[in-house]
Amino acid sequence: MSTLTTATPGVAAPDAARRAPRGARRTEPIYYLFLLPSLVLFTLAIPVPALVGIFFSFTNSVGIGDWNFIGLTNYAVAFRDPAIWQSYLFTFGFALVTVLVVNVAAFLLAVGLTSRIRLKVGLRAVYVIPMVVSGIIIAYVFSYLFSNSLPAAGEALGIPFLSTSLLANPDLAWVAIVLVTAWQAVPGTLLIYIAGLLAIPGDVYEAAEIDGATPAQRLTRITLPLVAGYVVINVILGFKNFLNAYDIIVGLTNGGPGTATRSIAMTIITGFNGGDYAYQMANATIFFVVTVLIAFLQLSVTRGRNAL
Amino acid sequence: MTGGALGITLTAGLLVGCGPGDGGPEDVRFTFSKREAIPYMTQVVDDYNASQDAVRVELDTSGVDVVSASFVRGNPPDLMLANYNHEVARFVDRCTLTDLGDTRAASRIRPDLQPLMDQYGRCEGRTSALPYSVMAASVIYNKEIFAEHHLEVPQTWSELIEVADTLEQAGETPFYGTFKDDWTVAQGWFDYAVGGQVDTLDFFDRLAAEGADVGPRSAVSFEKDLAGPLEQMTQLAGYVNDDAASRGYGDGNLAFAQGGAAMYLQGPWAFSEIAKTAPDLELGTFPLPMTEDPADLKVRVNVDLAAIVPEGSHHQDAARDFLEYLYRPEVIEGYNESQLGYTPTADAPPPSDPRLAGMTDYYDDGKVYQGASVLVPKTIPVMPYTQGIAFGEDVDDVMRTLDEDWARLARRQ
Repeated sequence: MSTLTTATPGVAAPDAARRAPRGARRTEPIYYLFLLPSLVLFTLAIPVPALVGIFFSFTNSVGIGDWNFIGLTNYAVAFRDPAIWQSYLFTFGFALVTVLVVNVAAFLLAVGLTSRIRLKVGLRAVYVIPMVVSGIIIAYVFSYLFSNSLPAAGEALGIPFLSTSLLANPDLAWVAIVLVTAWQAVPGTLLIYIAGLLAIPGDVYEAAEIDGATPAQRLTRITLPLVAGYVVINVILGFKNFLNAYDIIVGLTNGGPGTATRSIAMTIITGFNGGDYAYQMANATIFFVVTVLIAFLQLSVTRGRNAL
Repeated sequence: MTGGALGITLTAGLLVGCGPGDGGPEDVRFTFSKREAIPYMTQVVDDYNASQDAVRVELDTSGVDVVSASFVRGNPPDLMLANYNHEVARFVDRCTLTDLGDTRAASRIRPDLQPLMDQYGRCEGRTSALPYSVMAASVIYNKEIFAEHHLEVPQTWSELIEVADTLEQAGETPFYGTFKDDWTVAQGWFDYAVGGQVDTLDFFDRLAAEGADVGPRSAVSFEKDLAGPLEQMTQLAGYVNDDAASRGYGDGNLAFAQGGAAMYLQGPWAFSEIAKTAPDLELGTFPLPMTEDPADLKVRVNVDLAAIVPEGSHHQDAARDFLEYLYRPEVIEGYNESQLGYTPTADAPPPSDPRLAGMTDYYDDGKVYQGASVLVPKTIPVMPYTQGIAFGEDVDDVMRTLDEDWARLARRQ
């Protein structure tokens, strides 16, 4: 078993081998030229607007006309704004639950779709379809299902719980959002898990089988440890995406009922539509800092495990 | 007209002086993005362009976001007809619009509409915007259902409850609720309930004066002044269809057209949608009675379109010439007749559509108010809050949240 674990990070090993001789040679200048267009575009599209936005978060600008510096006022007010607190609480709770749901579902599906079953290829295609449909369309379709089809079914079957729309329940609307987000996010995660599972050499399983390992033992003792790196990737990517939750919520509940499902991104957007530009820029800056901190946390937790 | 004509010749002369010298017509960019009325306005622009050759108007139908961006870039349109709300009022507040007080159009506007315009924002000493179309909204009711149950239009709160009870006992749904779309709760239920007994002009003035002090100890607050009307609103919300929480605006129009309820808290914009399903359905309107005194009855209005000429425009006189054309009685009255709006000029007849007849007297007498939901700055999520009330959240809690939001915003700005 121990020999296996050292040999398994098959992805990382050849990478390190390739890296070794690179320092010896001088880098061709042409490579920098290749980088230039995307670097320029990236700078113009992301860091420059971000810096402008951070600048304005220290002003009282409404987007047009004159403005003044007001120091940290926006930040001071934002930290005491219950609407902002609520949106952070909702978004982080939502992201945590969704990451869990998506990864469990995708992993189980991936195990199923890589085992010896009929119609494997066709099924894989079916499960990947949600990935190519735009979020807002998915949200509108599900909104119809939750508001009309499910209640109709609930009424016909005499299940009172189903006969009122999930979306109209302030305490449970988030469950609907988790379900729909997961439905869309599972395929991407699933693909990564399938790739991870296919990378596990078959002889490992053969050896385990000869040693008398049960299927459950094979799953927990071999499969899971060997795809651990992929779990980390999926969790990090997923969490990052779910923190930015926007389109599906807009289509499903538009933040409602009341303000029960307003995400951070939705709160920030109101600053542009509502003439509260500088204040929500401060909120966006706080959000940025928070996500950077999370990124560092995730990196430090996963570093040194050959995960990334 | 002579003044306008003189202006045109002067500008035309200037153009000839410094332009490439072709002496062609002066271009005016006119933005107008009310989708339903674009065909009408295209015709107006074509007629105007054909009627003279000093000015050529170009219709720009890109929406309000594009317009906002053009202000920031210093390249605003020359003339706009825009929905008058907080967004446009930002341009008023910052004095980026020219004074239209000296136009002939301005002299014909009903003076009692000015407070409604000022309520959003003001630039001292200027008439920054002229109303062009006023929409009145109140309860829409199904005349056939009312006649079937021998019901009269209610004029007091207790009559309204009586009507609702009668309908309910007869197995009809009194009101159709579309609470899934929060704006329908805000513009109908919330605004009618509040406007029916609170003077929104005075209320928001006093609220603005309190500013950051709005709260449990201030003389005026959402909690003190609006909780009463909203308790009544919750009472009315008990008379809606069972599935109101999961119905949206589109569902409501369909159901109401099919006779699914007797009353519907929507504006005149819903008429054309209802007519798609039931073109011959007999509908009427009446202001929602919230007190026991019929003298308190008022209808909700909003300035659906207002004309503005930005300071950044380089074609001031040409833009004003077209502005005067837009305010010619046949143009402005024709527009409002076609869009079910009220013409804000003093001598104009009301729209002839019988569905609006129930509101005309109130509009003529100036018994109007602007909706509370649109007078709250957009950065406060008032629409979701009102939806929360419709879904059963505690009125006092929601009003306290509004008070806190209001004070927090005042502290910051």
